[in-house]
Amino acid sequence: MRPRRLLTPWVLLAPALAVALIFHIVPFFRTVQLSFTDFRLASGGEYIGLENFGALASSDVFWLSAGNTLLYVIVVVPLLVMLPLFLAMLVQPKIPGIAFFRASFYTPVIASMVVVGLIWVFLLREQGPVNWLLQTLKVVQGPLPFLTDATLLLLSCMLVTVWKGLGFYMVIYLTALANVPGELHEAAQVDGAGGVRRFWSVTLPSVRPTMLLVGVLSAIAAMKVYAEIFVIAGETAGPGGQVRSLVFTIREVGSGFDGQVGYAAAMSLVLFVFTIGLTVALQKLSRENEEA
Amino acid sequence: MKLKPRKHGILGAIALASGVAIALAGCSLEGVDTGAAASDDELSKVDGEISFATLELSSNPDLAAYIEDTISAFEKEYPGTEVEWIDVPFAGAQEKFAADAAAGNLPDVVNLNPNIAQPLEREGVFLDIDAADPELAAEYVAGAWEGFQVPGQEGTFGVPWYLTSEVTMYNAALYEQAGLDPEAAPETFDELYEQAAAVSTAGAGAFYGIHPALENRFMTDLAKIGVPLIDEDLVWTFNTPEAVEHVERLAEMYQTGVFPADSLTQNLNDAKEGYQAGSIAVFPSGPNFLNGIQQNAPQVFENTRVAPQIAAEGEPINMSVMGLLIPKTSENQGTALAFTKFITNAENQLAFAKVAPVLPSVTEALEDPFFQDDSDGTELSKARKLSANGLERAENLTPVQYDDQVKNAVLAKIQLALAGDLSAQDALDQAVEDANAITGGE
Repeated sequence: MRPRRLLTPWVLLAPALAVALIFHIVPFFRTVQLSFTDFRLASGGEYIGLENFGALASSDVFWLSAGNTLLYVIVVVPLLVMLPLFLAMLVQPKIPGIAFFRASFYTPVIASMVVVGLIWVFLLREQGPVNWLLQTLKVVQGPLPFLTDATLLLLSCMLVTVWKGLGFYMVIYLTALANVPGELHEAAQVDGAGGVRRFWSVTLPSVRPTMLLVGVLSAIAAMKVYAEIFVIAGETAGPGGQVRSLVFTIREVGSGFDGQVGYAAAMSLVLFVFTIGLTVALQKLSRENEEA
Repeated sequence: MKLKPRKHGILGAIALASGVAIALAGCSLEGVDTGAAASDDELSKVDGEISFATLELSSNPDLAAYIEDTISAFEKEYPGTEVEWIDVPFAGAQEKFAADAAAGNLPDVVNLNPNIAQPLEREGVFLDIDAADPELAAEYVAGAWEGFQVPGQEGTFGVPWYLTSEVTMYNAALYEQAGLDPEAAPETFDELYEQAAAVSTAGAGAFYGIHPALENRFMTDLAKIGVPLIDEDLVWTFNTPEAVEHVERLAEMYQTGVFPADSLTQNLNDAKEGYQAGSIAVFPSGPNFLNGIQQNAPQVFENTRVAPQIAAEGEPINMSVMGLLIPKTSENQGTALAFTKFITNAENQLAFAKVAPVLPSVTEALEDPFFQDDSDGTELSKARKLSANGLERAENLTPVQYDDQVKNAVLAKIQLALAGDLSAQDALDQAVEDANAITGGE
């Protein structure tokens, strides 16, 4: 009887464990293994110790990619933590027709990144609607080179990431806002607190754990940015490859029959360490805030 | 005894580590499984089942019907054989075949182009067709046959199947608007760029002469003006004075607005869409693109004229080659070879060319009047004739070493030159240096 009782949870867990093992755990350890080799798909490879990591440290392309990725996180994460919160507050009231706006804000989330990217390429062209609007409103004299200037390209990619992510994080915030006790707002109102004061003293503290969650999720997503850059900045990642992210470079060097899989694996491992480090730092920061 | 949670954790970790260790033990660091070439006896045996993988042919119902009919005809001619057809979408094909090759599991006959196939050819994955059937080479267009040879290695590792050779397509209505003679097509690069400049000036931002489509044309255009791209020792060498002059000219055209401003980073699709939208006047492409224009933009199709592909005098023009390769891991190389010869024979290739606007790779099929008959006066038949007649001086001008990584490294520098952030000489020197660093050229 007892061995059966011990076995039952494992049997129930088996399918999920198998999926995790085959598609996540084994590939992860395989990546670690490959990162110490000069493996190429066509020709195979040999163990070369830490050579890949040495090559990474002295590679301008790697540092450019890492720098762009970090910049992406610094710009995109705060926007994706704050903007969806405001959006959620905007669509939270149960008034007729609000479901339409909730669905509209969520639509970009379910759209393919490639389709979204192509739409934005059209919008951001030198003769596209965005430049037309900016010139009509006399914000700028001539068209802005959104698709050809490295800095503007990076900003354009960030804009698309934020725009596409808003709806997803908005839904998470809506759930959190629904759990904020109405009495707290009422009590604050009775005490004479205005809208801004209630936001700072009631809403924000109540959704802080959700903000951490959104921060971590959006940071991980930003660390992995690829499709936006590929579609908007082109296959070279902008003129001179100046807009490349870590995942862009990993894919570029590791794909194809002749791809440097070992080198790409080493870069993936570095990205993994960066991501874990960032997640831990965010959690620590949030804990310190709570304690304070 | 009741297990404490901590012990559960330790057991779990041990189980996980064991699982991972067992899985990794099976993951060797060897490259692809190359298999072994079949003996002459085995090669002459035509029987049993084979799999046949093509690249995105089933989406066209006529083409799908052609392939199915040809397979049926083969099975009828060789009783006891069976061909299983697999059509793979172009996007992701390289990844799929890479995984298949690593597992020694490639289809018995696989459709690849020389650039995708080359790293596997180099490792000896495919059957040497020259050795398997020494007579075969004489039947095919020489430039296409050579596409499946690897510099520094003996043999030919695939049979060319269908070819496309681009023609110069241009929009006669835009030419007229620019005050150019719509019947005087550009014959040289000088004429092309002069006419493009005139069209862009007339367009004043509404339409342009030409899109640079660097990813598609930069390297082949260098070859067409006689720049040596890579030497026998596989060292990239395209930073010559002629190449510098070419890049300087492209940069001048970009900076003076002959090319659309966004063309620096927007790729070949942008050029295709621009031509179909009537905002680009000249678009060099394979005749197969004419069908797309006819379907998507009938008005532009009506204004489209075709002219021969442009190359400097005495230099080759470009063609794209698709081939069929037989992995040595195939357990039925005899049937695979027989099927490859069958589907690429003159009769079947001619039938193929009548279904799709491609050119056959066997010389006998090319001699058919179908490729010389443009009496219906349509641009489609004119393009077919021009394209077929150009094959004599056509080569696959894209070096097989010019893979995505090399291409991106090179074009990234050329983009900087076009934008005026780097001199043409520096851009080419750096592009050559980066390309050599990737492919191991000294």
